[in-house]
Amino acid sequence: MRFSMRELLYGLRRGVTSPNRNARTAVVIGRLLGLAFVVCLGTGLYSHFLQEPLAWMRFPTRPVALYQVTQGVHITAGILCFPLLFAKLYAVYPQLFTFPPIKSVPEFFERASIAIFVASSLVQIFTGLLNTFQYYPWPFPFKQVHYALSYVIIGSLIVHIGVKLPIIARYWRKRDSYDAEGRFLEGDAAPAEAPAGDSADAPARVPVTVENAAPARGVVGRIGAWIDRTPEVDVKSSRRGFFGAIGVTAAALLVLTGGQSFRALDPVNAFAPRKRGIGPNDLPINRTAKAAQVLDTAVDPAWALTVSNGSTKRTFTLAELEALPQTQVDLPIACVEGWSQMATWKGVRLVDLADAVGAGSDSALKITSLEKRGGYRVTTMGSEYVRDPATLVALHLNGERLSIDHGYPARMIAPGRPGVLQTKWLSTLEVI
Amino acid sequence: MRATRIVFVTVGALGIVFGAWVMVDTVRPKSIWGLATWLIGAVIIHDAIIAPAVVAISIAMRRVGRRIPPAVIAIVQGAVVVGSVFTLVVVPEIIRKAKVPNNDTVLPFDYASRLVVLWAAIVVITALVVTVYLRRSSRQKARPSTRQV
Repeated sequence: MRFSMRELLYGLRRGVTSPNRNARTAVVIGRLLGLAFVVCLGTGLYSHFLQEPLAWMRFPTRPVALYQVTQGVHITAGILCFPLLFAKLYAVYPQLFTFPPIKSVPEFFERASIAIFVASSLVQIFTGLLNTFQYYPWPFPFKQVHYALSYVIIGSLIVHIGVKLPIIARYWRKRDSYDAEGRFLEGDAAPAEAPAGDSADAPARVPVTVENAAPARGVVGRIGAWIDRTPEVDVKSSRRGFFGAIGVTAAALLVLTGGQSFRALDPVNAFAPRKRGIGPNDLPINRTAKAAQVLDTAVDPAWALTVSNGSTKRTFTLAELEALPQTQVDLPIACVEGWSQMATWKGVRLVDLADAVGAGSDSALKITSLEKRGGYRVTTMGSEYVRDPATLVALHLNGERLSIDHGYPARMIAPGRPGVLQTKWLSTLEVI
Repeated sequence: MRATRIVFVTVGALGIVFGAWVMVDTVRPKSIWGLATWLIGAVIIHDAIIAPAVVAISIAMRRVGRRIPPAVIAIVQGAVVVGSVFTLVVVPEIIRKAKVPNNDTVLPFDYASRLVVLWAAIVVITALVVTVYLRRSSRQKARPSTRQV
């Protein structure tokens, strides 16, 4: 038995050669994947800064479905990254077996950046998917890691584009990539950047035939010989099949899971972790009253909402809130996990309560919930939401009194904000 | 192009460094080690398990299918891809559902049986597509003159 590392790697590269594994495929899939990553980054940062705004930040409150759309797009694009990322990794797989593995210092950094890119992307989309159904079987906090990794991923994407720019330019257009018979056109790109590696000693660039195959020696040789006797694949049907499979997978994922975020797809929602209309008040919930430990405090007859502005303080019992002018609005509840649903809310305009304690037009609010603990027990609401006439201290939902799991006796509902900031089981509102 | 590439690589490297800084700033060191094991594990699972398996299956299909038209092999491979990606996305839901979610509105469906139905649908649709393809290509072979006119 006689084989070297070099022979093994060449054998592997020959074995994984395929008409779809070329620079053109990598460019086409890379464009789509890059677009999906950029969309996820933009919508993700929007969601992040809604939850943790910098001091100067103000956000649009119209259209009321803005966050519903951005977060729905975030989660859906994230799910579409599964077929796209696997397709991309499939297209460039032979590059793993270059020999020697690292030839120079720049190449070491290039491969290192790709390793970071691949690892973070896989972890990001997989943990992101599991977060949509509140499943956390890993030893790190999801939110912080998801946020930090997004910069690492986009940074390594930019490095990757910089490194591969000659190949990207060379194979950007289809007519430069294939001849009339559909055969892939090699060359013109600088040899060091060529996808299949160095032209001087790259058997993978030579069409695989029995004649130029390595002699059948040892285990690797025999495997190589077996692979080499594999019939030639039909270039066109293979490529059509590849792009067809990616397209069908992406379309099917979109159609069968998008219903949690997009109403038009609700009838065919087969695999999403949420379904419209399921839950108390015909609406899904994230955190139950039991989990928030408010089963006693929320139904306490002595409950009253305290609204304060410095030394000015007013308290409103539930009956007093009910006696104030009631407003009904249709606003979506849209979760960071991507699911969303339009609902009909009825209650007191927040601006009326703020005015009752003499709040100014640029006052923000500190909102405190009855819940015992949790990252969103105390939150801040910017003045743009406080002054919006659609922002309510809601008492009714979809024609019924608010269910305790939806925040009875009173909850916040504002246009264009993440569900985690639509505070349930209100306790105090402080003008700041 | 050289200047553009240098700008890209520099900006990208700064992005990576910023992400690392945010990580160190917000995540405890112990958790970062936990993340590192997941990052390395993801590469190992993909590069050393999933990808070689995919390669082995596609080579095996090509070898076994010497007499099968390439388009049919491509259709079957496409069907396996669709089913596999869905399986990867749905199996965590099945596992989570078995561990009892936080409330009844999370994961409301019976995902396991739905996944079985999906695979059955994939098999049926694939069979139909292959049948249509074979009929059409045999009709074309049977009447070559009409194509040549």
